[in-house]
Amino acid sequence: MSDFILCQWSAWAPGFSARDDRLMELGNSVVPECVPKMLRRRLTPLARAVFNVADQCINGEKTFPVVFSSAHGEICKSLTMLQTIQAGHELSPTAFSLSVHNAIAGLFSIAYRNTQEITVIAPGQEGIAPAFIEALGMLHEGADEVLIILYDEPIADFYPISPFNLNSPNPCVLALRIALVGDGLPLQFDRCTQSREDGEHPVQLQLFLKFLLAKERSLSLGNQEHSWIWHKK
Amino acid sequence: MENELKQLIIDALDLEDISVADIDSHAPLFNEGLGLDSIDALELGLAIRKKYNVKIEAEKEDVVKIFSSVSTLADYIKSVQG
Repeated sequence: MSDFILCQWSAWAPGFSARDDRLMELGNSVVPECVPKMLRRRLTPLARAVFNVADQCINGEKTFPVVFSSAHGEICKSLTMLQTIQAGHELSPTAFSLSVHNAIAGLFSIAYRNTQEITVIAPGQEGIAPAFIEALGMLHEGADEVLIILYDEPIADFYPISPFNLNSPNPCVLALRIALVGDGLPLQFDRCTQSREDGEHPVQLQLFLKFLLAKERSLSLGNQEHSWIWHKK
Repeated sequence: MENELKQLIIDALDLEDISVADIDSHAPLFNEGLGLDSIDALELGLAIRKKYNVKIEAEKEDVVKIFSSVSTLADYIKSVQG
């Protein structure tokens, strides 16, 4: 059992109809002002959304340890590169450097001059829980606050979706600033042995955002092995 | 050729809001000056190979000198093409 405070959150979730100040409406080209001009050209629309949503939770100059979590990152870039190889063309070094799972985290650390601990998780069937476990670990090791950034975009039709439950029709980015003490929404986070089938990260991310916007007090998310419960105290 | 190279740099490196007229042929391309980085160097090397069929070998050539400005880059490409 672990308790924490959700100090602040923000999200970008096209397809969500709820009206809430924390749900951002973003144009494709908007980038936070602090991002150097020469870095902007390397940001995809998803990266720009991640930057904007995170920026809402950062409030100025302060830098935090960050946990990024995404099922596939920007796997469409890898697919495009494979198709380039198949066509017999040479790969773009820039495209290659930005195709890795931690590419957005790397750009983020440069743009925000953030030299704190930054972790990027590809959680597979474990969904969004590992990001919380990692962030809570950082808090218990002494960090005052940790930023969790969960993001996914729909994967290309090229990839098989069944028998998995891992695709969401819309992209989604959610940033959460959490701490062990202070003002905000107190949450309790527990593991239990109950077997569930709530899908993988992209699906769970949308369910968690719905939970934040709803009146329900608790949310369970899990797979056939175990599940995790978030409870608003 | 210098203007052609400047356009190649703008296109290959996605330089938003920069035009051929903004690039000084004798200013440094990397760090200060235009402000390109090491990934840009690789991307530019590839673009030059595709367009001019000139391969700049990092181990053999004096790449720092060749890539130092648009002017030095143009001189090198001309010298190889003969």
